[in-house]
Amino acid sequence: MPSINNNKAQNFLFSFSFMILLSSCSSMNVTEERVYEGGIKTVEASVAEVSELDYETKAIFANATVFFEFDSYNLTSKSIQTLKSVVSVMNQNENIKITLAGHADERGTREYNLALGQRRAESVKDYFILNGINSSKVSVKSYGEERPVASGNDEMSYSKNRRVEIN
Amino acid sequence: MKKIFILFLIPQFIFAELVLEITKGSDDPFVIALLSFDGKKALTDEVDIIINNDLKRTGEFKIIKDEKLLSSPSNEEDINFNEFKLLGIDYIVMGALESEDKFNLSASYEIYNVVSKKKIRTSKVFGIPNKIKQLSHYISDGIYEEITGIKGVASTKILYITEIAEEKKSLYELIVADADGANEQVLLKSYEPIISPAWSPDSKQVAYVSFETGIAKVYIQDIATGKRSVAIENTKQISSPSWSPNGNFLSMTMYQDGNAEIYILNLKNNNLTRLTNHYAIDTESSWSSDGSRIMFTSGRSGSPQLYEIKLRKYNSNPERITFEGNYNAKGSYLKNGDGIIFVHRADNDFKIALKYFNENFIRPLTESKLDESPSISPNGNVIIYAVTENGESLLSGLTLSGAKFRLPAKKGEVREPAWSGFLR
Repeated sequence: MPSINNNKAQNFLFSFSFMILLSSCSSMNVTEERVYEGGIKTVEASVAEVSELDYETKAIFANATVFFEFDSYNLTSKSIQTLKSVVSVMNQNENIKITLAGHADERGTREYNLALGQRRAESVKDYFILNGINSSKVSVKSYGEERPVASGNDEMSYSKNRRVEIN
Repeated sequence: MKKIFILFLIPQFIFAELVLEITKGSDDPFVIALLSFDGKKALTDEVDIIINNDLKRTGEFKIIKDEKLLSSPSNEEDINFNEFKLLGIDYIVMGALESEDKFNLSASYEIYNVVSKKKIRTSKVFGIPNKIKQLSHYISDGIYEEITGIKGVASTKILYITEIAEEKKSLYELIVADADGANEQVLLKSYEPIISPAWSPDSKQVAYVSFETGIAKVYIQDIATGKRSVAIENTKQISSPSWSPNGNFLSMTMYQDGNAEIYILNLKNNNLTRLTNHYAIDTESSWSSDGSRIMFTSGRSGSPQLYEIKLRKYNSNPERITFEGNYNAKGSYLKNGDGIIFVHRADNDFKIALKYFNENFIRPLTESKLDESPSISPNGNVIIYAVTENGESLLSGLTLSGAKFRLPAKKGEVREPAWSGFLR
């Protein structure tokens, strides 16, 4: 396949880019350059490992979600009602381990929202610890604004997205 | 310095190709006669269009094409400078494409100053036929820098993220494309979110946040080889990478104690230095061009605001630098260090805003409802950002001379553009 070899030779040649100012003695610029275009390789991300859930213990444990105000990680009184019932379920079954995933709505910057989602999840974790749950049973992560449950661009959707999911 | 933007409302469906909604470029643009290139028409047509678009996008030129000219000279002897002067033209650009052999193509071009009636530049660019776009961008940059004295960015690249909704999940792609949005190539595909792409200063590597393991982690990937690894092994979430200008350090947001704090990773020896220590959120670090300052977003005042730390000052405390409104985030320093651009909330809209350090007010630059992720071109003259309108997102640009443009619409959502360094 001589044509392929030729192409490789071209790429090799082109990896050396140069630009020479040949002359600037008069007021005229004389330049010569070669187009440089580096290669690119496409990569596929590894597939996320499914965490080993104890499905039987999860089954008796109702998934819960608590919601937040804009740019806030304070628990509302309604959230506290929800969390109270989670605590009582956890107290009844020593084997339950939970993951708290914090989320934000799409407004504001992505990284600030990632940090905000984390703060929301930490607020929920703090509540659990204050109420006697061992911190080793609670893991925390954030998805920021990357995993909305409602896709609208209005307050109705935003309020559904500012949440911590308890699983 | 006061700029007025006049906006035409352009319906979304025509964003199939580059849309120039330039309405007010420079107050005093350079007027150039851009003569069609000589050579095989199939090739020169593309070259002509690309150069025209590249120069228009800078907002600094008024371009006059052949059909509006009194004559179309193809060499120096044929130029009647007075004719061009009559039309108010400052510069004449002419060129030709030549096939060197089966695999090589070259372009030569010349620039004439109409007032002095002199040739001011003669240049040759060597390329290959299937990279004719890149060849054209090199010519555009040569013309731009000859006339403005500033390095051009037509030959640079942008990184961005796309999200394409599939049946039950979304496909996320990290893409690198030419500065005009063409020539897209995928660096990374994932079914988990990818955010916060950043270039290494030599533009050979990229850093980004991938959720592929279930939590946010910073990865560094070599563009040419695809070789990638996590920036640092850690069980906690890590995000928001930003390279120091000398390439030796990577600042990142780490969640060691549950809260977002900024750390600096020494890429040579993997040492970590903690930069912030506050119970509020600290994230979105970015470096000044001289590497002496780091700006970041902090919630320590009760709302997100921008702060900076002077790295070369002993025991430097973070100093607050934005005071207007209750949301100022994701700042970047202007290349000359004169000010910053950032995301600013005004009423319920998020806009890109500019603040000069010698002024005590901010200048909103955009008008949409939800503008995000501003990134500055390496020559400091152009800002590219993501716009979300009616649930669609796409990339827009604006120049400090007042021109605005949109890049071609892509499939799915497009977000978080990041501009490379100079590649030419």
